[in-house]
Amino acid sequence: MLSFVRGLRGNLPRSALFLLFAGGPALAAPPFELPQIGGSPAEHHPGKIIWADLVTPDLAVAERFYGGLFGWSFKNIHAANGDYAVAWIDGHPVGGLLERPIPPGEHRQPAWLTFIAVKDVDAARRTALGSGAKSVSEPKTYAGRGRQAVLSDPDGAVFAVLASTSGDPPDYLAEPGEWIWSALLTKDAGHSAAFYQSVFGYDVFDLPSDDGVEHVVLSSDDYARASANTFPTGSARRHPHWLNFIRVADATKAADKAVSLGGKILVEPHEDRHGGHSAVVADPAGAPIGLMEWSGTESKAEPQ
Amino acid sequence: MSVKHPQLKWAAVSLGLALAGAGCAVTGVGVGVGYDGPGYYEGGFYEPYGYDYGGWGRGYRVGPPGGGHRGGPGPGGGHPYHSPAPGRSMPSMPGRPRGH
Repeated sequence: MLSFVRGLRGNLPRSALFLLFAGGPALAAPPFELPQIGGSPAEHHPGKIIWADLVTPDLAVAERFYGGLFGWSFKNIHAANGDYAVAWIDGHPVGGLLERPIPPGEHRQPAWLTFIAVKDVDAARRTALGSGAKSVSEPKTYAGRGRQAVLSDPDGAVFAVLASTSGDPPDYLAEPGEWIWSALLTKDAGHSAAFYQSVFGYDVFDLPSDDGVEHVVLSSDDYARASANTFPTGSARRHPHWLNFIRVADATKAADKAVSLGGKILVEPHEDRHGGHSAVVADPAGAPIGLMEWSGTESKAEPQ
Repeated sequence: MSVKHPQLKWAAVSLGLALAGAGCAVTGVGVGVGYDGPGYYEGGFYEPYGYDYGGWGRGYRVGPPGGGHRGGPGPGGGHPYHSPAPGRSMPSMPGRPRGH
């Protein structure tokens, strides 16, 4: 090997040698292994939101914020394109945090990426592309995780589809600190619902509302999985996106704590449709995340 | 285009090898930059800057229906989506605690 390098040095300028070996660490990197999401490979819940990844410019700042707010702990994994931390609560992986620098002078929106369960990523992707979606990243298989791809819906909201090799998590009531709900904020809830119905086979229920815009519930397995909501009137910069909510014991206290940890309140705590309070806060880098109370008594009886 | 200067030629070859090794197949997605290759993870994408959460007053709510919610399938027709069969009740979230 050494003689090979010496030989190269005889023919290559130093700058070329540097470039040649710049890719070495990536080639030698150990497999990027992610934690399993499900408990049984045979359990599948297409249409269920089963994972979320944050992209952020400063992983340490994000870990302090989310750890302080939700009690998450973190296990860091080095990816070739940036550090990645898996967030855990009560022995369960709850999400991932990926550090990626924002080029100087550029404005980028840190955000949580929503992963929706499918059985076949490639088939779901074909259906989505045929229904007007765009590809954000090609399907890729990760050890421990499964196969996933990132898409943007016809209105530009980015989401991921994931076929977990360990199956999907069972349907249970989220504990505090876990994801409890997801909401798509979009230009036209009805049209978006039609798109997601075509990809995930959702049942779509109309939600009566007195705010003058359309809201629907997307359900699968006879469980509500998410809502799709037309933007409120009066919002100026409206980019469709998914917003995920973490269950908290007290939305007002959690929102105040978010501020004390360097975040800010985007939507003040307010009574939501289910009777509990919810709020939307931004982490120190600006990524929005929802906070939602749930008393544990609002859910329907389990199917027998 | 031919590269006549030998040093430039080697630099170009090396750059190509380095990029291939690093897996820098840029996907150019409009909302961020993706990578592919060994050890690369594509799980996060910056979005267009500046979400707007204005206008959430006046009863704007995005949460789930609670138990006993009287919503349901929208009136037949007029929706771009397929409505559930009439009579189906509005689903809620799972109520079973973990481990039960």
